[in-house]
Amino acid sequence: MQRRVAIVGYAQSEYQEDVPRTREDQVFDVVKAALRHAGILREEVDSVVTASSDFLDGRTISNVFLSMAVGAYQKDESKVEEDGTGALLYGLMRILAGTHDVVTVEAHTLASTINPHQILFYALDPLFDRQVGLMNDIAASAIQARMYMKKYSVPEEAVAMVSVKNLANAALNPLTHRKMPDLTVEEVLNSKIYYDPIRELMIPPITDGVCALILASEEKAREITDNPVWIEGVGTCVDSYLRERNLTQLESLQKAAAQAYEMAGIKDPYREIDVFEVSERFAHEELMISEALGLAREGRGQVLIEKGLTGLDGEIPINPSGGALSADPICATGLTRVIEAAKQIRGEADSHQILGVTRALAHGQFGICAQKNTVFVLGGDR
Amino acid sequence: MAYLKDQRRETMMVEGSWNIGAYRYKGSTQLQEYVDGLKEKKLIGSLCPGCGKVIVQPRNICGRCHRRMDKRMVVSHKGTITCFVISPPIEKGKYKIIGMDPVEAGIIQEGAILVPVFVRFDGADSNINTILLNSSPEQVHIGMRVKAVFVENPEGKLSDLEGVEPLKE
Ligand SMILES: [Zn+2]
Repeated sequence: MQRRVAIVGYAQSEYQEDVPRTREDQVFDVVKAALRHAGILREEVDSVVTASSDFLDGRTISNVFLSMAVGAYQKDESKVEEDGTGALLYGLMRILAGTHDVVTVEAHTLASTINPHQILFYALDPLFDRQVGLMNDIAASAIQARMYMKKYSVPEEAVAMVSVKNLANAALNPLTHRKMPDLTVEEVLNSKIYYDPIRELMIPPITDGVCALILASEEKAREITDNPVWIEGVGTCVDSYLRERNLTQLESLQKAAAQAYEMAGIKDPYREIDVFEVSERFAHEELMISEALGLAREGRGQVLIEKGLTGLDGEIPINPSGGALSADPICATGLTRVIEAAKQIRGEADSHQILGVTRALAHGQFGICAQKNTVFVLGGDR
Repeated sequence: MAYLKDQRRETMMVEGSWNIGAYRYKGSTQLQEYVDGLKEKKLIGSLCPGCGKVIVQPRNICGRCHRRMDKRMVVSHKGTITCFVISPPIEKGKYKIIGMDPVEAGIIQEGAILVPVFVRFDGADSNINTILLNSSPEQVHIGMRVKAVFVENPEGKLSDLEGVEPLKE
């Protein structure tokens, strides 16, 4: 990259099921906390990029009423209608372009406003798929899970183990809301069936949440903090619509990761990256994500979880924060992963801190069956 | 290539609807405090501790100062029209004003012209969007002095403030 860019501050709300406060109030508190964490005032911010969805916000051009809460009043401001990692990429590009030096990136979804699965039905093709009333985002992911599990002989126990790991990790993270420290594989496999083979404890709870971070150019980052978290690599890629896609692999994530690794000079992610924070919107997705990130061979993601390699004490911890399965504030989920990865590098992850993290990966996704994927590789001063 | 009308063929269409159901927007104290004020025929605004501006109706956050505006103020019933528009003739079933069709409710006659106005009440730094009553499109002008018109027995609802009317000072 021509210009180095760092994360210099961040904040998250407590992720909960039904927060009895307005969107503006919640966003204001988190943006204010992120600025405080960076030790700067909103006057020092050049640009604000937010991520949310008009449909989930229940307003068209839903950033209109948020400009004051995010601190964008009389400033450059823009919004992405997708995951917060998209907003982060957008903010990064503003700084790389040389036109801005300090950018606030904010993302939120208050899923208690409306059931997000009701909205996701309308992501389906109106001519064919939407005509089949039973098809929706969960059913589509069940198709993906079944195809993947059949093709690579992945036992449902391996999928359930992802839920067990992440929900136990979540118990160590004060910000998440589905915490199950003593969960067993049997309990996951006996939880309520949604669309076979997907069960209640294999998908995230309904979450209200907001997160924000402050991004700065190298010169500004050095002024603001002694502990910058550098963006070493980034990649983003979108796959085709559901029906013509190879659903048994996340090919767009493979490409996004390859771009990010090349930019960061990473040859062997297994050895060179210390911790991974990924957006597994369904338990089976974490296995597929680990393969796409190059941590396991095709179809062998199951081995990582079975051998405990992705646990807190494993060689490649995935989602020490509890991941999306423990809290999924949709548009904020990917940006939450970035903040959790940055916390690991700065040693601020408290009880779910992995020792000796110098490099971390964060992943965000959007669309049915993880159609679009964005990867960030972050590193500290070494 | 030009689009030739005689070569046009109808394409097949699929009926669709967008039934995303009811939203639950979280409320906050400012709406409640405002309507509680109306019940006592008071106009409530929020005061920014940073810039001292008073916003009516109240808002929780001052974008300029990036601060909370937790303090409430009562502003005057008297104010000034800062801008206005002249409506087209109002048809039955076409408009809803504070939750009701004014023609159907018998408040105005079909074909009447309304004058929506922006009013800055004395002591406020923002405009309130309401209706000019007891006047006409010929009389309204920017800078016109007006006063708030309340219903006779306010109940703590947004409709307690009916609009504004010319003030004879
Ligand atoms: Zn102010």
